[in-house]
Amino acid sequence: MLLGKSLVEISKLIEKKDISNKEVIDYFLKRIDKYDKKLNAYLTVNRYYKSDNFYKMILPIAVKDNFCTQGIKTTASSKVLKNFIPPYESTVTKRLIDASFFILGKTNMDAWAHGSSTETSDFGPTKNPWDLLCSAGGSSGGSAAVVSSYLAPAAIGSETAGSIRQPAAWSGVIGLKPTYGRVSRYGLIAMASSFDCPGPLTLTTEDTAFILKIIAGKDKFDATTTPNEVPDYVASLKKKKQFIIGVTDEYLNGVDEEINKSFYQLVKILEKLGHQIKKIKLLSPKYSISVYTIIQRAEVSSNLARYDGIRYGNNRTFFGSEAKRRIMLGTYVLSYGYYDAYYKKAQKVRTLIIEDFKKVFKEVDIILAPTTPIAALKLGEFDKYPFFGEIMDVLNEPAAIAGICAISFPFGLTKKGNLPIGLQLMGRWFEEENILNLTYQIEKETDFLGVIKKGVKKYPD
Amino acid sequence: MKKSKLSKDDVLRLAHLAGLTLNEKEIEKYKKQLEETISYIENLNELKTDNILPTSYVNFLTNIFFIDEEKNERALTLEEVFQNTKNKKNNCFRVKKIFDE
Repeated sequence: MLLGKSLVEISKLIEKKDISNKEVIDYFLKRIDKYDKKLNAYLTVNRYYKSDNFYKMILPIAVKDNFCTQGIKTTASSKVLKNFIPPYESTVTKRLIDASFFILGKTNMDAWAHGSSTETSDFGPTKNPWDLLCSAGGSSGGSAAVVSSYLAPAAIGSETAGSIRQPAAWSGVIGLKPTYGRVSRYGLIAMASSFDCPGPLTLTTEDTAFILKIIAGKDKFDATTTPNEVPDYVASLKKKKQFIIGVTDEYLNGVDEEINKSFYQLVKILEKLGHQIKKIKLLSPKYSISVYTIIQRAEVSSNLARYDGIRYGNNRTFFGSEAKRRIMLGTYVLSYGYYDAYYKKAQKVRTLIIEDFKKVFKEVDIILAPTTPIAALKLGEFDKYPFFGEIMDVLNEPAAIAGICAISFPFGLTKKGNLPIGLQLMGRWFEEENILNLTYQIEKETDFLGVIKKGVKKYPD
Repeated sequence: MKKSKLSKDDVLRLAHLAGLTLNEKEIEKYKKQLEETISYIENLNELKTDNILPTSYVNFLTNIFFIDEEKNERALTLEEVFQNTKNKKNNCFRVKKIFDE
């Protein structure tokens, strides 16, 4: 009865008393027991649900293991934090708990969120629910996999540049990266502080809007959050808005033919729905790779400096190879003599990328592009690509660098591997309402070509 | 693409600054990977940035201060502060000695 139901649908069932909170939680715990050994998507499962109040609505959700959850182990998938029990709650999880959510468990990820495949996790990779030999994507791979296989009705992930959208695309679910500053980073284990954005992964657009409304907004514990009003994202889905949608060859070059085919299929549907498609020109994403590599590594080396094993966690010998590599490069670009050549230059090009988006967003409301250049790769292939994460995230990095909002949703399957294809919409700063509205229109018109429902069906009760 | 070169001493100096201990194999591996990455990021020099200000923050806020005399809700109890350490003595963290007597 519950299989594939969205969060909003579950809440209605509980409200009508068709099902109790406890039955819902037990249902997901049972599914986790049945399937998670295969998928390795959860690092910690929270079995301590107590139904002390039958009349209070409780909704289950999975949370990426880099959000501090008071009393629940939080590792960021690194052995450095193998036994770390946070003494405080992150703002995102606090707001969810206050809104009557129950944290079902903490999901696997690339260690410290460094990667795009969950293969850098110190606790083993997460398998793609569509093909167990493939990667679920990353770094929020566990969060994408639990939603795709319905081991949670929704999940929270975090994105620095692609870490929500890319696993959402590879695992066939919806993933939203909000505008930088829209959702608080307090209690999120920092990767690159000037990029990090928490966001939801869900089965429906409505659920994404529903969760965003709860977690968004100013937080006095994160000075980079902005005081913009939080609109009713759910209510605004239903307005039939018309948009000017930009498309650019820069985001189609080098992209798999099947993915580009899905892209053009959607372009036709959008025209049919009355939207205007407009060709635009953007800076090549190859510069975004360099900007991102420099700034992110610099911020990583400074953020990870605090892990010295004195106040908590293990000492620095416990860092994995990817973290060490990033710390080394970050230290290099920040060190004496190189700061101007690399870090400062990258921050200047970051300004150019922001200006580039500002210019384009004067002509169009939304930009449509593929989320990833290829569908899910086999586990292990990551070693063949020296810049693996950067190549997989090349289409995600520009939006992350500029801090604008973007959403990925599934649109078709590859013929070769029967794997999900992800497309994305990028919107202006703080215009989540628009990209959600258009995603909702696409969902109503096409049901994402049935991808999400097919994914859930692979994991029967 | 110009190939960037790093010496073994460069790599060891970076590791020292970052508080990392590397074995011989790692030194070689990171030296090669760092050289590759540094060569790639040189492509930023194709773009002119003479009169461009560097970005420090992508949004519009300026000067955000904590409100004076507000109760600090984030303060942890002593028990919470020490709950994750193995090195504690008399409500202090024990660290390695850095001065000789």
